[in-house]
Amino acid sequence: MNVLSVQQLGVSYGGVHALSDVSLEVGEGQLVGLIGPNGAGKTTFVDAVTGLVAARGRVELDGKDLTGRPPHVRARRGLARTFQSSELFEDLTVAENLQVTADPSTWWTALGETFGRRPSPNPAVPKALAALGLEDLADASAHELSQGRRKLVGVARALAARPRIICLDEPAAGLDTSESAELGRRLRTVADAGTALLLIDHDMSLVMGICDHVVVLEFGKVIASGTPAQVRTDPAVVTAYLGASTVQPATASDTSTGGSAKALTSTPETP
Amino acid sequence: MEQILLFAVLGLGQGALIAGIALGVVVTYRGSGIINLSTGAVAMASAYAFWALTTGFFGFTLPVGPALAGALAVALAVGVLTEVAVFKPLRTVSPLAKLAASLGILLTLQATVLLVFGVQPQQAPSILPADTVTILGVTTPSDRFVLAGLVVVIALVLGALYRWSRFGLATRAASENEQAALLAGLSPNSVSMANTLLAALVAGLLGVLAAPIVQVDSMTLPLQVVPALAAALFAGFTSLWIACTTGILIGVLQSIVYYLSTQSWFPTDNGNAMPGLQQLLVFALMVVALYVRGAGLPRRGELVEKRLPAVPLPERLLRPALMAATVAAAALIVLPFDFRQALTNSMIGMVIVLSYVVITGYVGQISVMQLALSGTAGFVLSHLSVGLGIPFPFSALGAMVLATLLGVAAGVSALRVRGVSLAVVTLAAALAMEQALFNNTSFGGTAGVSVPPPRLFGNDLGPKADFRGLDGNEPSPMFGFLVLAVTVALGLYVAHLRRTGLGRRMLAVRSNERAAAAAGVDVQAVKIAAFAISSFIASAAGTLYGYNFGSVSAARFTALAALGLIGFAYIGGITMVSGAVIAGLMSTEALLPHALDKWFGIKGTWALLFGGVSLIVTLIANPDGIAGAAHRRRTAKRARRTERAAAATGPPTDSASAVGSPEIRLGRTAADAKEVAP
Repeated sequence: MNVLSVQQLGVSYGGVHALSDVSLEVGEGQLVGLIGPNGAGKTTFVDAVTGLVAARGRVELDGKDLTGRPPHVRARRGLARTFQSSELFEDLTVAENLQVTADPSTWWTALGETFGRRPSPNPAVPKALAALGLEDLADASAHELSQGRRKLVGVARALAARPRIICLDEPAAGLDTSESAELGRRLRTVADAGTALLLIDHDMSLVMGICDHVVVLEFGKVIASGTPAQVRTDPAVVTAYLGASTVQPATASDTSTGGSAKALTSTPETP
Repeated sequence: MEQILLFAVLGLGQGALIAGIALGVVVTYRGSGIINLSTGAVAMASAYAFWALTTGFFGFTLPVGPALAGALAVALAVGVLTEVAVFKPLRTVSPLAKLAASLGILLTLQATVLLVFGVQPQQAPSILPADTVTILGVTTPSDRFVLAGLVVVIALVLGALYRWSRFGLATRAASENEQAALLAGLSPNSVSMANTLLAALVAGLLGVLAAPIVQVDSMTLPLQVVPALAAALFAGFTSLWIACTTGILIGVLQSIVYYLSTQSWFPTDNGNAMPGLQQLLVFALMVVALYVRGAGLPRRGELVEKRLPAVPLPERLLRPALMAATVAAAALIVLPFDFRQALTNSMIGMVIVLSYVVITGYVGQISVMQLALSGTAGFVLSHLSVGLGIPFPFSALGAMVLATLLGVAAGVSALRVRGVSLAVVTLAAALAMEQALFNNTSFGGTAGVSVPPPRLFGNDLGPKADFRGLDGNEPSPMFGFLVLAVTVALGLYVAHLRRTGLGRRMLAVRSNERAAAAAGVDVQAVKIAAFAISSFIASAAGTLYGYNFGSVSAARFTALAALGLIGFAYIGGITMVSGAVIAGLMSTEALLPHALDKWFGIKGTWALLFGGVSLIVTLIANPDGIAGAAHRRRTAKRARRTERAAAATGPPTDSASAVGSPEIRLGRTAADAKEVAP
């Protein structure tokens, strides 16, 4: 059964259709990539799925309807996410950042803690830190971390909630090539352990290298979907990335799209 | 009908003053992104200056022209000082810190005026024509029309200035996006300076001209900023035109309400008209404005990320708490009666500041109405124990539960309002409660309602108990012990809260509501919990106030007193329990002001001045407050000590401390090793 099933999702800002009828499915332990040029609606898609933006359509997690639920309810049901700008809780340490998502937050536990009951340390926190290789940073303050580290802590924070699926919004932006490859290996491990992942990124070698399935968005619509190999050769995708109807070597050398074009055509190393 | 028209025209004067201050608020906000609570105080300062210059207060009398120039010069000087000494150094701090800084200016100005001119309200001479005009058969004074017309002209001129001049373009650019404006070669500092001066000039001019109509005094004039803030909220802190018209309309409405309250059908309170309806009107208007315009203020793309003061995790709780409790208990017995009273007052002050630690320190929301909740609890306590005869622990608990419910209700209705808007609307609420509830003699009253002493199992725990300490005078240390027990219990609870899951969720909400929601935190539930805890603590303080003096009086729970307490809380360190302790020691009639008065003859007004100035200094030099700075020093010292120890015993093995860059750490360890080696 699919962990996440999104049907006919649509978001409009005034007359602008940021997303129109996007459908997408992520299975258990699957790593699905969501790519597209800047402004294609990838972050809007994640915002709509997690409930931060009002949207039309239907979102299901493990077959249960989440439509109309507020963000924190979706998160507690097992729909975690990271943010493009990491959005850590600056006043807390790294471990405390993870505890916020890991610990149950019922009135009952709050009351128990008020009267001095010490909850047993949550094993999900060290596990999530270890999964991202952040054990050394547990007691560091979130605001003293570098940008790359903040991204990793964001992923660890999502993982600490033991979610069914994590939507990763550009986790590799700001990482160098080797760090990015390292992140890819760690994400693949997380997915293989059973947590489904939806990965948004511009690093094509990362996306093409680790994803089981790739969905391509352009102007808020799905233009292609399939295995990395299928998507890489899809004419619609090539057009979207290169901005021309026919692929000429000259177009590929265009400075603004050259990077992605190269990334698209290069053979990714398998993890 | 004619009477209503007359009162509407009379209200134009007040309206013009409100509109002038509202224009000042909007202009300052556009120029520097600061909601300047001291705009009304600027009007007060120049009104006093004008009064003093024309009536020979300084030993000489000036004609109207030079006196007006002098008064405006005072307003401009205040503007320059504000900008250079406060706004410029605080350009990059959080909006809440900026608001607190403007509160510091308000307190400083008020204290200065009190020290120079005394508490007596003055009747300023009018410089507007005193003749009348007749409209629709009603004879009305013409100066009201002149004033209202003048404000409209000022609004039009300012509007034209912003629309067509290069200065206006620069201001609009800076208020849209400070960073981009800076990159385009505009200096946010000079833009802000020009706008602050304009605002001071407008507020000062209206202060001088409207003072004869509203009376010159140091209590009501600074608080005219509250209706002005209502007008500014309607204007979205952007539109001069809306701010001006709404300001005038508020004045007119208040005047009509005043007229209606003189009618025989109007509800009365012991023979007088119901008090506080004008303040309730302003509060209601603010609520409407927030619903109409949305709770958010226009955002600015600002230069630096803004962080609120840090909230360190308390390591040890019991040991410092026990030590402080022992010292305080001994002091209660040993100290002479006046210092014993001051210590008791300090501890009650600590409790009320603890409520700010929760709501402002942990959750980042400024709620000015917490002190008003204390007052509510005090008055309810009196009614429960005197009126219904309920005995001690139950009467106090009942009062606390009722006031907490009120606080939670206010919190629930303000869930969508956050940050600076919440501070503004709760300020209006505090003022409305002060005027409409506490000054209403069937509930409260300025004369005070009595509270019987707390008795438990036949033992008097109140200030008149038999056990009298070493000097044998009242108040009894017994009551001090009761207050101490409550203070220590609540202090421990608030410190412990930081270590619980709820405390972490509060801080998560404080740093980022969106991310907190996406992390599974129910933001609204956390806020309601915070309001409930904070209101409960504030109500506990209120019942202690009642027992402390054997009566509850409206004068202790004014909006200005609430603003002063927030100031003290910031100075002490609003995010820590130790900060609340420091703030309590500084609060009204507490140990520090009492000692200053007793030993050096420094009166309370000087303490107010000291409070205002040190609030500004704290915000600029040390935003974490005294307690935060002390904590930072301790942590740094401990880190140095561990490093020394590590350097002495060999290479550090504790990888968790290797947060910063390893090169720096190794370098310092090497240097330390060199120091230790010989």
